[in-house]
Amino acid sequence: MSAVAAKPAAGGAMNPAAMGVGIVLLILIIGVCYYISPGLGLMSLIGIIIGGILIGFGVHFVPVGGAPAAMGQAPGIATGVAMLAAGGGLAGLFGGAWAADQGLVVAVVTGGVGGGLMMAITCMMVNFIYVFGMGIPAASGKVKNDPITGDSQAEFKSQGTEGHGLPFVSFVGGVIGGLLAGAGGTLIYLMLLDLYKATLPTLMQATEVQILPIAVSAAGIFAVGMFLVNAVLTAYNITGTIEGPHDPKFKRWPRSIVASAVASALCGLVAILIVV
Amino acid sequence: MENIVFGIGITALTGALATVAGAAEDTESNIGSQGDPNSQVQLAPQMGFLHRIFNKAVAGEPPAYGLWCCLGAGLAWAFMAMQINAVLAIVLGCILAVFVQGVYATTAYLGRTASLKKFGQPVYVDILKSMTTVTMAHAFVAIFCTVTLCYLMNAALGHPFPLPLLGLVWGISLGAAGSAVGNPYYGKERQYQNQKFGAGVPISASGNIVRYAEAGERNSLDNGFFTAKLGGPASGVCFGLIVFLELWRTILFEKIAAGWGAIIVGLLMILVFTIIDRYIEVWARKTYGPYTKPEEASS
Repeated sequence: MSAVAAKPAAGGAMNPAAMGVGIVLLILIIGVCYYISPGLGLMSLIGIIIGGILIGFGVHFVPVGGAPAAMGQAPGIATGVAMLAAGGGLAGLFGGAWAADQGLVVAVVTGGVGGGLMMAITCMMVNFIYVFGMGIPAASGKVKNDPITGDSQAEFKSQGTEGHGLPFVSFVGGVIGGLLAGAGGTLIYLMLLDLYKATLPTLMQATEVQILPIAVSAAGIFAVGMFLVNAVLTAYNITGTIEGPHDPKFKRWPRSIVASAVASALCGLVAILIVV
Repeated sequence: MENIVFGIGITALTGALATVAGAAEDTESNIGSQGDPNSQVQLAPQMGFLHRIFNKAVAGEPPAYGLWCCLGAGLAWAFMAMQINAVLAIVLGCILAVFVQGVYATTAYLGRTASLKKFGQPVYVDILKSMTTVTMAHAFVAIFCTVTLCYLMNAALGHPFPLPLLGLVWGISLGAAGSAVGNPYYGKERQYQNQKFGAGVPISASGNIVRYAEAGERNSLDNGFFTAKLGGPASGVCFGLIVFLELWRTILFEKIAAGWGAIIVGLLMILVFTIIDRYIEVWARKTYGPYTKPEEASS
């Protein structure tokens, strides 16, 4: 078999053994947390894991074209997977943190909408610059017709390229990715904030008002850190570029979910251990 | 009511600052050639095309701006803790952050260009001297505007995050917006000005970037001059809209229905941008038309 005909190794394949090891690790970390802090700590860890999974799953939706997209050689947004997801998700975290006083559900949804709004504006402006700045219509290289609008794609693909711009399905994918990533980041922040607000006063022998700036800062920094961990892990799973939910690479998400869950659990355990 | 009017005023100011920050960020990254199109600047000498383009991409724009804005905000925060006036503290913090950017730009250019020695690419000292200061000046504008808007969010609008964390969050978002919108215009439209307008760059043309200007060899200042006309302002509008609308919906509608008001307005705005995007997409398909006939497309 020639190098050209050879299938890429470990590209989209699932490895059941590795997934099994990941799940065992996840149960082990949850068990350790249960042993150390069965109440609030465990609840926080579960929230952090769910948040991490939301980020990991959400990043798969974000259409990222990387360097080829910057030359109009491939569809998607011309930047890195982790970077764009972080930009959208952190904008969501900003809104979610602001709404933290209004309860978990409102804050998480606010965070999600903040991330979705950032991605909607960015995706719209990307198409604006492609169409009005460069005279290039959007075209997907992975599907013949847009799965949402049914628009044909192949004849709008310029010669020698894999497509360009953001077809409608990619735009929708970007918004969904921003929604999920923003909600996930906010959930991690809120879980840690509740934990720190409950434990730091006794640990530092101070009132809740006095420890609030430390609790907010520590929870915020951990949330940003865990966001980047999950976004980078997912970027490795995607390996380079992805067009959105219609891209064949999207099917790799189960692998990323397990990885995000384990990584979030481990990072969350560290974040819990500093106060328990 | 006064609080809302004050909040709207601050929101408008942060939106304006964000617009300037986005435009300066994209122009800085294009002069420094930091975004994804820099892959072509790095590739060109390997394909035999020696050039005089600056080359400082070590990190992507979002983490780089996350670092610089966080640094500027952190230092400003420290100066304010030392009872220095807020305006002066922000200026001093941003100046120090820009020095870090300058060191980063210098070492990146020298390191990346020196790595191309085997392909005959020279390190131009005059390029280093003339470009670095210009990128630093643009970076200062971008960092100063971002740190100032973070300060306004924290001090005037009461966001709970401390200033350095806000700097990190909005620095990363600034880089993400600037690179997403500005990169294609620099990469396709400027670096490949010798290719056909209205089509993507064929993959076979990779590395053959435009290296000559109207007089003499093209350098990165020419690129900044070009992209500042559309790519920069578009990036600015993108980041400005993100900051302005995020704050606007929160300030005005957060109190309605226990927080759900801001959520519903946010969803409506997403819907509006979806409609605008679809209109742009359909307009382009109708106005520009297909490159090939549909029946030939399956080949």
